Amino acid sequence: MAGLATTFGSGAMTNSINEIENAQVILVIGSNTSEAHPQVARRMFTAMDRGARLIVIDPRRTLLARRADIHLAIRPGTDIPLLNAMMRVILDENLADDLFIEMRTENFYGLRDMLFRLDLEEAAGICGVDLARIRAAAQLYGRAQKAVICYCLGITQHVCGTSNVQSIANLAMMTGNVEKEDTGVDPLRGQNNVQGACDMGALPNVFPSYQQVDNDDYREKFERAWNVSLPPKPGLTLMQMTHGGKDGQLKAMFIMGENPVLSDPVISKVEETLDNLEFLLVADIFLTETARRAHVVLPAASFAEKTGTFTNSERRVQMVRQVIPPLGQSRTDADIIMDLSARLGYVMDYESPAEIMEEIAMLAPIYGGMHHDRLENSWGLQWPCWDREHDGTPFLHKYYFTRGRGRFVPAVHEPPAELPDDDYPFLLITGRIYHQYHTGTMSRHSPLLSREAGEALLQLHPEDGRRLGLRSGDMVRMRSRRGEVQVKAQLTETVKTGEVYTTFHFSEMPINLLTISAKDHFSQCPEYKVCAVHLEKV
Amino acid sequence: MTEKYILKKDHLQPFLRKLKKSHQLVAPVQNRHGDTLFTEIDNLDKVHIDLDNQPQNSLKRFFFPQQEVLFTYHNPARDSYYFETVADESAPTLYFGVRPCDMSALLYMDVVFLKNARDPNYLHKRQNNILVGLNCNEPFANCFCNATRNGPFIDFGFDLQLTDLGDRFLVEYDRSRGQEIISSWRQFFAEAAESDVKAQYQAFLEARGKFRLQVHLDQAVKKLAEDEVPESVWEELSMRCQDCGGCAYICPTCTCFTIRDQPISDSDGERVRAWDACTFSGFTLMAGDHNPVDRQMRGIEKRFRHKLQFDVKKDNRPSCVGCGRCVNICFGGTDIVRFINMTCCGNI
Repeated sequence: MAGLATTFGSGAMTNSINEIENAQVILVIGSNTSEAHPQVARRMFTAMDRGARLIVIDPRRTLLARRADIHLAIRPGTDIPLLNAMMRVILDENLADDLFIEMRTENFYGLRDMLFRLDLEEAAGICGVDLARIRAAAQLYGRAQKAVICYCLGITQHVCGTSNVQSIANLAMMTGNVEKEDTGVDPLRGQNNVQGACDMGALPNVFPSYQQVDNDDYREKFERAWNVSLPPKPGLTLMQMTHGGKDGQLKAMFIMGENPVLSDPVISKVEETLDNLEFLLVADIFLTETARRAHVVLPAASFAEKTGTFTNSERRVQMVRQVIPPLGQSRTDADIIMDLSARLGYVMDYESPAEIMEEIAMLAPIYGGMHHDRLENSWGLQWPCWDREHDGTPFLHKYYFTRGRGRFVPAVHEPPAELPDDDYPFLLITGRIYHQYHTGTMSRHSPLLSREAGEALLQLHPEDGRRLGLRSGDMVRMRSRRGEVQVKAQLTETVKTGEVYTTFHFSEMPINLLTISAKDHFSQCPEYKVCAVHLEKV
Repeated sequence: MTEKYILKKDHLQPFLRKLKKSHQLVAPVQNRHGDTLFTEIDNLDKVHIDLDNQPQNSLKRFFFPQQEVLFTYHNPARDSYYFETVADESAPTLYFGVRPCDMSALLYMDVVFLKNARDPNYLHKRQNNILVGLNCNEPFANCFCNATRNGPFIDFGFDLQLTDLGDRFLVEYDRSRGQEIISSWRQFFAEAAESDVKAQYQAFLEARGKFRLQVHLDQAVKKLAEDEVPESVWEELSMRCQDCGGCAYICPTCTCFTIRDQPISDSDGERVRAWDACTFSGFTLMAGDHNPVDRQMRGIEKRFRHKLQFDVKKDNRPSCVGCGRCVNICFGGTDIVRFINMTCCGNI
């Protein structure tokens, strides 16, 4: 979010998902697309059928990496030196788009000077990748007329997450691979409506439509609309809230549809924080690990029981329609919020979700033309959609960047907060698998999905397995400086030696007991992707 | 089957209304979101029976539900179990607007569920129905029943079979129950003239030339029988497969199921039969986590071999009916048409 906002001016996919089919080169970095975003991977396959070349940058040899023309298996957390090396090669080979840089961007000299000081051999050494292969990837990307970069949490969940994103933006701008159809920078969103949540201001520093809370004009606009006075100070970030501990700033929390007891790093700290609240209220469709700790739990309605909109990765706002009325005592999210608000003394009187959407259209300019009647009989509209006459925006930054000129923000390598050492010799990467979703609140209720993937597995290179006397199926005791879990080993060459991979879906093996609380300096996103662990056979 | 009749299109609704008095009615209905699905109809006047689009679902779930409780088990005193079978209580049903592919699929399911061991739940549903089919004058975008040789027209399996002749349907019957229906509701049916029969032949001839896909199914069957499918085809398709199981769920002839015991309380539970898919790795998973099939390399192999090789060996015909639904639903482009084309013509 912060990375693209500072370079382009908008933190979202610049393309539509369908445009990926027409790309000539697809660069996938920090994304296991075929498992985590199958609908996007499908477009990549179509593009490859049409002759597109695929570059995958990933420490693991994922299914997508196996299909790639070039797979760069970097050391985790070395994206910046790799991207810088690619940019240096592009400069050296005269593949930079000088006209685009001149017309549309600023601060290129800052980046260029940094790149000229870069030692390519050294950078390749840091990444653990052969320089010749970096060159090949840079040439492939640099020569393409239409090139798309897709990235995901492998980029953002690092202490240097924002700089990682900025480096990706640098690479795209330097080659003129933005502002056009079928060409751009595409962060893939992890949930069906996480884009919508951000758009609606579920971030500490902005109101809906990314209007900053510390801007007096914006704040006054919302104060007039809601008839309340609003604080000009940005709120707390996720980790500031759930890692407050005994002396946290918060006295009460209302958690909706989230399970931080399993999903946030250093679980012991999260538990301590929640247990020390004066009041914890949770609304969810199932009794999650977090809900079990709440003073009051409100049963929420599932997707099939409510009407409204979801906003997906490509900024597309789509209707979701109620099929059945909420079961039992459950109620829709809007219903819960309105009733709660009324009892707290502020009446919210909306007769339908369509009325709420009208208010969104009035206050959030990028949603200005989005009304339920327009969304009802279509596949939705992509923001920005300024007014009723506007057809939505399939790709961003046409003619000029949202922030005016695209800004190059050079970055230098920043190693992960905790790297393997003698005491904790393995590097742990966490992520997701195909058959389960997040903390399993929903997916673990399906017997068939449980049959396909019913327990956590620790991916481990066979050579490491031999050294530790482990075979597939053996139990491993894995500990970090923060905690310890037991997990079943799976020997596979998907991971490199010295690196292990597992998921956070399973409450029996809460991997976030082990992960680190180090976080990105700008976005405060935790570094789930790298921490040091010790393994031994049970 | 010599007698043919005419049913005016204006009389279709009144005719269905009569039959609906004694039968539950299932027909392709376009819902308010524009999707056409085989749906149970409560009120004939409130729905739009859509004969212009292919129903997205087949009839599979009406005879072989996605989840079906076979029996319940009880152990109240914690000493011994007793079991209660769950009788199938589905009402007599009229299926209207069944295309030749779905009709053929039903005949295939009969082989699976009735040929050796007779499945009581399936048998009950199957005995209790009337099938009114509709020949396809206009094959849909992904259809290839001409290649599987069970369409676009069919002349067996149904009770009544309709052919659209513009303002009227030509009606044929195959089984005695169809004849019975015609004689019971004689007021709706006029004898067909020779010109009507000629018009039907003309429609059949024209329909055969309207298929948009060219699918060399026979060649693929031959190559499979002679074991000439290149290894790279299995590999490429298996790696592309996104493991969603959509092909098996949407397929009218995929009948693999899994059985599981679902506890309801400490002392009670139920045994459930649910759809499964051979592309899932859990389908072949064995004790000790051993799996004879490497999903990423060969995961999709069983599916095509079963339909185009094993069933041909067993029943002398492939068990793909050419409805094209998997072509439409597949994420990764690993549908049966792609397999056939890759096998016969290289990667296109």
